[in-house]
Amino acid sequence: MDHSVSRNWRDPELLLKALPSVLLQTTCFIAPLLMTFLLTFQRTRDFQLRWTWDLATWTDVFTKPHYWTILGHTLVMAAACVAISMVIAFPIAYGLSTRFKRWENEIKILITFAFITDATLKTFGWVLFLDKKGAANFLLAGLGLPPESVAFLFTDWATLLGMVYNLLPFAIFTLYLSIDNIDRNLILAAYDAGAGKWRAHWEVTLPLCKPGIWAGSVLIFLLGVGVFLEPKVLGGGTSPMSAELIRQTFETRVNWPLGAALTLVLMTVSVFLVLLFTRLLNMKRAGASA
Amino acid sequence: MNTAPILQIEDIHKDYGTYQALKGVSLSVRQGEFIALVGPSGCGKTTLLKQIAGFEDATSGRISIDGRDMAGVPAAQRPTSIVFQKLALFPHMTVAENIGFPLKLRKVVPAEIAARVNEMIALMELKPIYLDRLPRALSGGEQQRVALARSMISSPKLLLLDEPLSALDVKLKKVLQSELKRLHRSVGVTFVHVTHDLEEAMMLADRICVMRAGHILQLGEPADIYYRPADAFVAGFIGETNLLPVEITRRGKDRVEYRGTGIADETGAIPVRFIADQVGTGQALMNVRPELIRRIGPGDKAECSMNAQVTEIFTKGGTVQYRAHTPEGYDLAIEIQGTSDLPMRVGEDVRLGWAKKDIWVLPAGAA
Repeated sequence: MDHSVSRNWRDPELLLKALPSVLLQTTCFIAPLLMTFLLTFQRTRDFQLRWTWDLATWTDVFTKPHYWTILGHTLVMAAACVAISMVIAFPIAYGLSTRFKRWENEIKILITFAFITDATLKTFGWVLFLDKKGAANFLLAGLGLPPESVAFLFTDWATLLGMVYNLLPFAIFTLYLSIDNIDRNLILAAYDAGAGKWRAHWEVTLPLCKPGIWAGSVLIFLLGVGVFLEPKVLGGGTSPMSAELIRQTFETRVNWPLGAALTLVLMTVSVFLVLLFTRLLNMKRAGASA
Repeated sequence: MNTAPILQIEDIHKDYGTYQALKGVSLSVRQGEFIALVGPSGCGKTTLLKQIAGFEDATSGRISIDGRDMAGVPAAQRPTSIVFQKLALFPHMTVAENIGFPLKLRKVVPAEIAARVNEMIALMELKPIYLDRLPRALSGGEQQRVALARSMISSPKLLLLDEPLSALDVKLKKVLQSELKRLHRSVGVTFVHVTHDLEEAMMLADRICVMRAGHILQLGEPADIYYRPADAFVAGFIGETNLLPVEITRRGKDRVEYRGTGIADETGAIPVRFIADQVGTGQALMNVRPELIRRIGPGDKAECSMNAQVTEIFTKGGTVQYRAHTPEGYDLAIEIQGTSDLPMRVGEDVRLGWAKKDIWVLPAGAA
């Protein structure tokens, strides 16, 4: 790092250089957030926003356990989605950077295409597949299994399936990048030192792609917390998640202050959890190397 | 000294698709020997090392270490240890964890690992304060020592070195070369060292194995390789040399008769011990190293001599290199002590001579 650069806040040159970034952040991120925050102190009556400046909305949020149940459910679903995605994505990403290196580009293109296909379309595709009279049951019946063997459409499991399906590419690509960055000689060095395949994996590959695992997990967790399509379409709206609750609050109930408050709660809790886990992980790492 | 081969390589072939990296290599290495595999890139030296380490399976052939056939034995279970070109230190482990890793895998108790790690860093002359640092906090030379320590801690029977010094600057390289030599002497482990640096191979190895295009061209002690190269390629690869075309007219029992354009020789014959076995009658090459050629002053005599005109002078420090052009069209390289009484000037016509004992006649062609 160049130490000749002044780090003084009052350095006019530095301030000028930071200006575009500051402006962009303010207009696109900080201002909307601030407006959302201010919105929570108002009320709506007759589908009109009233500037009342009171704490009615917040009282509502903190007294009704209903909102918190949904929030808890959302967090659990997102965490489950992270775990399942990582378990599925790791072998895929590993294979992509090792054994299937030859078809690496073809496979990446296929994954990307599946990824950029509209999520709504794909989610409804799963409905057709999982339906009582859908493709899955048709195939299983053909194999001689009892009718309606697949009967988990409109449950949390179906929601989770849809979430994992739609978010998996994020896991695959972040893991792929970190695995692909590992020097192949490190694995050979582990073998040479006397490690078997699994041991080398555990001692070298996994620790070295920790950053990738972490980045992918954060990404999927935050995206998973915000899903509304999957619980609605695949979960059948039977157990709503936070994003759907917020959408309904804004659109159906036209209660903007409450919607804004729920949004802030969801954001704060998610960010807090991510920071907490980052801290815990760093503490563990510091403890391990001490 | 135990002279049973620690490493026996028999007719190893390795194909990558249609490309043949090794075309039948056989080699026997004695216990405690320091052997260098040298050759230009693509000669198969690194491929051979990977076969020994067990990272790749040979297409055909046999490798045995300490009398045990290594076919189907994975790298993890071979009594070998490799130092990689780019060292391959584990970036997420401290220096102590890196060095102790092979013992940890062998389920050695932590207290003993710590003791052995301390032994290794003493042997490698590393400072104990480095133990808790990550490898990237160390300098290149220190990382090199850590890599060596990690490879030596499990007491391997064979230490394989894959050009580990090639990335270092000249000064550090010299230090680590003598370090390697010292290490080899003090631990008595067999070293197999892959390098493209001939000078390094000459300095370190007991025997040098020169490879080219998947074959072993010559295997011998450094002096053998240098003064008695098997063919024109080895002669040219191992330092600068002069190869003069000659015609062998008769091969006798203890001397051969020859004719060389422009070479003045009173007897026209060379004792048979200065001639490679493969040389028959017909075309051959006379190999004379630059430092064995001298200027002949007036009234002086040499067993072989040639007329030439000096074309270039390069001062190398202790010695001076000359290029001289002969009327027959050959360019000769001559290296003479800087303090010589008979210095030469560019454009000067000189007489150059050498002794029969400094000649090595090798087969023509194959360069």
